[in-house]
Amino acid sequence: MMNKRSTTQSVILYTLVLALVIFCVFPFLQILSTSLKHPIDWGNPSLIPRVLHLDAYKELLGLMPPKEADVPASVQRLLDNPALSAEKKQMLLDKFSSGGDVFPFGRYMLNTFVISFVTGICSTFLASLAAYAIARLRFPAQSLMANGVLFVYMVGGVLLMVPLYQMSVNVGLASSATGTIFSLFLIYLIQTLPVAMYMLGNYFRTIPFSLEEAAMMDGCSRVEAFWRIIMPLSKPMLFTVFIYCFVIAWNEYLFASVFLKQYQDFQTLPLALQTLFTSKNAIWDRIMAASMLTLLPVVICFMLANKHLSGGLTDGGVKG
Amino acid sequence: MSSVLIKNESRLGLKLVAPAVGIIGLLVIYPILFNIYLSFFDVQLNGTKTFVGMENYTDLLGNPRYFHSIGVSVIYLIGTVVGTTVLGLAAAILMNQEFRFRNLARGLILLPYFAPVISVVFGWQFIFDPVNGIYNHVVVDVLHLTDTRENLIGNPDSALFVVILFDIWKHFPIAYLLFLAKLQSVPKDLYEAAAIDGQNAWGRFWHVTLPELRFVIATVVLLRIIWNLNRFEDVYLLAPNVETLPIFTYYQAFAGIVDQGVAAAISVIQLLVLVGLIWLYVRKVLKW
Repeated sequence: MMNKRSTTQSVILYTLVLALVIFCVFPFLQILSTSLKHPIDWGNPSLIPRVLHLDAYKELLGLMPPKEADVPASVQRLLDNPALSAEKKQMLLDKFSSGGDVFPFGRYMLNTFVISFVTGICSTFLASLAAYAIARLRFPAQSLMANGVLFVYMVGGVLLMVPLYQMSVNVGLASSATGTIFSLFLIYLIQTLPVAMYMLGNYFRTIPFSLEEAAMMDGCSRVEAFWRIIMPLSKPMLFTVFIYCFVIAWNEYLFASVFLKQYQDFQTLPLALQTLFTSKNAIWDRIMAASMLTLLPVVICFMLANKHLSGGLTDGGVKG
Repeated sequence: MSSVLIKNESRLGLKLVAPAVGIIGLLVIYPILFNIYLSFFDVQLNGTKTFVGMENYTDLLGNPRYFHSIGVSVIYLIGTVVGTTVLGLAAAILMNQEFRFRNLARGLILLPYFAPVISVVFGWQFIFDPVNGIYNHVVVDVLHLTDTRENLIGNPDSALFVVILFDIWKHFPIAYLLFLAKLQSVPKDLYEAAAIDGQNAWGRFWHVTLPELRFVIATVVLLRIIWNLNRFEDVYLLAPNVETLPIFTYYQAFAGIVDQGVAAAISVIQLLVLVGLIWLYVRKVLKW
């Protein structure tokens, strides 16, 4: 480097860095700030809420006490009448409370977590087998498969949505909830497999072959060498790949919207959030709180995996 | 190695790749072919098909909306590819300098890339919200550039630019990572030699940095085109009224008057373009 910087140069450098960081971080601050603001405070351009308003989070996480029904005085008198049975009272109360309005955030989060987790595990496992074979073993059509994998990966979901949907209709999977979820799981698997194979293949190649050789001299079979030597050595990378696959599934919207539209109970977060946003007006605090809660697991995951991820990403064709 | 060992090895290899390759074959290769087949049919959501020959293609070529969406896609591609490449390069050069808190800054600028699209689009929508958004506050109330608050995302023409800006914001970090990795491997004596030759900072950038990065720049541009040609979620979730090609396809396939055959035909044409680009990428860039 050109060693000493003048003061002017330093000022310019820090200003540019600051501008870039603000550009990157501002939308996140906006989300955080709006999620904490009271509706009357939304028009306030400052990022700092005038009063801290946690209701949106409480509501989404189910911590809100059941809403006091807004009952007119005449009805309240009826309710206070001891002659009325408890059942009747409840019926009356239900008429005035808005119980059906609750957004089952926890359920959507669980749905998303389960499908992402299963996708991540299966994809990482299958990819590690295939990547090991492509990186280390010689077999027919090996280089064709190696090149084909990324080729396939870049084809992208939009081009496959019609045939995949039609296939699941033809096979009959689209007509039941279980079948639909299974289709979706398979689709997430193919969206993550190629990149997982690619990342793991590159990683396996960095492990010296002499380690396996030594294990095989000690009487291990090839498969045992893979299980006992390569897999444990690759733990950090396997974890990174798992996170990457998990996040792809966690974020996926296109196929979720195609397959899960009519199965509301099984919707994933991206789909549910979009529905919530388009169906109701002016609920910025809840939308932003939901965004924050969707964002958080992903950011934590990436912080855990960051070290290997940056290297893995720069190796090439990673989605982005 | 003896032939038995070679045979064993290739048998094991095939066994290990079989599940992954099988799934990819069944759910990617087969659908691509099935898609070509479907493009010659009138296809309904429930799976009913009637053969129509080339009609889907002729319909498409006579549909102004199709050409409009191609136009929108081209603007989107040019804007995002140029934007991410330039900003990525600038960020990489900046982050390659030494300064305090560099690691923190490096981490923070990766956030947009990592964050789920669905959460950040709401932040962006709020920024451009005509009633509460900071954009209108700054433009109208602070700078007095216009008198009326505008709904930038509500109008498809201006929304296209918001979508482009959003994509640059979201995806420049990946370009930045690729550039930074390469910058760190540029030998320092090249810069020193250029400095001795009397080159100023700009000259050093022009005569050392750019030529060294040539190959990475080509990679980034190609990758951005490939990914953005298929980009759906980032556009649709932020501004569903910006009709790029993938969004037009989605509307044909799943919204309004459903015509999955036409959607298949669009995909076939798009696939041909994509295959050309991927071929270029695999041949020129990739070392697997």
